[in-house]
Amino acid sequence: MNESEIVGSEFAEVAVGVDTTANGPRLRLEDRRTGRVRFLDALELETLVWLPDGHLGRLLDPSADRWREDAGH
Amino acid sequence: MTAPATTHETSVDLRQVEQFLYREARYADEHDYDAWEALWTDDALYWVPAGAPEGDPVQQMSVISDNRSRIATRLKQLRTGKRYAQSPPSHLRRIVSNVEILDDEGGEPGDLTVGANFVLVESRERGNEMWAGRTTYRLRLVDGQLRLAYKKVVLVDHDRALPTLSFLI
Amino acid sequence: MTATLPETAHEQTDKPDRYARLIQPTRVHGSLYTDPEIFAEELERIWYRTWVYVGHVSEVPEPGDYVRKNIGPQDVVMTRDRDGEVHLLLNRCAHRGNLVCDAPSGNSNSFRCPYHGWTYRNNGDLLGYPYNKGYGGKGKLALGLGRVPRVASHQGFVFGSFAPGGPTLAEHLGAAAGELDRLARLSPEGEVELTAGWLKHRTRANWKLLAENETDGYHPQFVHGSIFSVTGSPIGALYSDNSTAVTRDLGGGHSENDLRPEFRHFAEPMRWFGTTEDRVPQYVARMRELHGPAAEEILIEGSPHVMIFPNLFIAEIQLFVIQPLSVGECVQHSTAVQFKGAPELNRRMVSQCVGSVGPAGMLLADDTEMYERNQRGVALREPEWLDIRRGVERERTDDNGFRIGTATDETGMRGFWSHYRSLMEADK
Repeated sequence: MNESEIVGSEFAEVAVGVDTTANGPRLRLEDRRTGRVRFLDALELETLVWLPDGHLGRLLDPSADRWREDAGH
Repeated sequence: MTAPATTHETSVDLRQVEQFLYREARYADEHDYDAWEALWTDDALYWVPAGAPEGDPVQQMSVISDNRSRIATRLKQLRTGKRYAQSPPSHLRRIVSNVEILDDEGGEPGDLTVGANFVLVESRERGNEMWAGRTTYRLRLVDGQLRLAYKKVVLVDHDRALPTLSFLI
Repeated sequence: MTATLPETAHEQTDKPDRYARLIQPTRVHGSLYTDPEIFAEELERIWYRTWVYVGHVSEVPEPGDYVRKNIGPQDVVMTRDRDGEVHLLLNRCAHRGNLVCDAPSGNSNSFRCPYHGWTYRNNGDLLGYPYNKGYGGKGKLALGLGRVPRVASHQGFVFGSFAPGGPTLAEHLGAAAGELDRLARLSPEGEVELTAGWLKHRTRANWKLLAENETDGYHPQFVHGSIFSVTGSPIGALYSDNSTAVTRDLGGGHSENDLRPEFRHFAEPMRWFGTTEDRVPQYVARMRELHGPAAEEILIEGSPHVMIFPNLFIAEIQLFVIQPLSVGECVQHSTAVQFKGAPELNRRMVSQCVGSVGPAGMLLADDTEMYERNQRGVALREPEWLDIRRGVERERTDDNGFRIGTATDETGMRGFWSHYRSLMEADK
């Protein structure tokens, strides 16, 4: 794992670094407030780059995934 | 380079370097094991990487990764005449070219790093093989004579399945 | 040709007793190594049916990891999905059949074919395709990457079978599973890791010459005499007439050279690795701490020397995978066994293995020379047969019901051929 950097604001704080422990490099994202970690591979990152703003906006809706009555976690 | 290499100070020129590489190549082509062995320094590394050429020869598999003692063992095995993969010996001729003195500070202070390309034809009863690659040498002046401290051979086929490589490459 | 010899080399494949006549108890016919029709039939009846070793879980340690592997000539991608499950996929796009993955290994949770952009999850499911109106919208195609239908593992060794049904991996491995257990128990953490990278050695010989040679204890003194003599290696003596080691037919085509009787006789920890315990003090201390008095048996008996049918060979610290490409060509993949939690031992195993195996190996280059000479030899017309009778008269059954011979007997080969024949004759 290379050095990570913090991308933070008054609303969220995420540690960002490139992880090199797998068979290829991947982005390691850690939500500093909960400790939850997600890895993103290159194809997933490229997909994010191309995500239209409207689509991204829908993902930011609090009830889209994280704060739903039927959310599993 | 921060300090001039001692090898430079004693003014080894490209011509001398080339003559050394050609001689080393001829000893290998002609299976002159004694002469070839005498070129090496005691801290020798003779390395043919497999897979990633920048891998670590201590932790990763290599085609060849011989220190001085293992070079001696390899040559002793060849000299028995019962090293069947080289009995009878392959017929070999190689061309060494594109010789460059490189700005590299690896090895002992004063070692001269040299890069070159090669193409080699091996003839055996099973058929001919063409070998090619890039060699990095580290040369050292010892008592006024050039010696070989390091030879790394990156085959163009390093990441593919290779036929038996039982001669000195 | 005399009347007693079968007209083997030129007969029709549909003759029902073909393999019974080519494979006899003490001899096998040369055409088994040279006939392309037989090779084609082997692919269907052995390589694309029985359990074949593909890779090790330590080669895909993280979710999203993948590595290119093979089953014979088939190009297989071993992947680990987000849930940690290991899959064996065929590297072939469902659209036009292009190769999807190019790199030897990497980390990606999905694969995108470079030809038209079709994209798959790393479990083989089709995620989507560009400009989907041409297919009536998204999610309209019930397609995916090809899969090896059965995947199972033992001690992290992943095997695949192209047959949707049949014997389980445990049934296929039988007694050979215990040899993998014996290997894994040498790790202080009980886990083998294959993380040292691979050498790939192209060999112009039929794959069976390799499989038979792996537990042939008759050849080392001859083929490897050159290296034994210059290094003073004690290995040669393990395979001599005076050796107490045995060759065992483990059933299922598997066989071993069981060297434990010799190692028990000397009762020296680490002798199996050709060293002494003071050279690897941390490892030995850790094993004793872990196992108590039981550590002595583990450290004395050491690692197996076992051929697991049809393609996995473990020779103490070296591991080989045989990949057939055609009737007269195969690739030997080799690496050093690594034990989790044993860095001191692992470095030595890499060093020793690099000296021994692969295209320039001081052991394997000579074995390979023999394979290639053998392939040219068996193509000659007479005397047609290869003899496998050595030790047949002195063979006996051990306490567990396995056939055993002396260290130099061809008991393993006879076991190989008996199983081979049963697979080639199945469903006839």
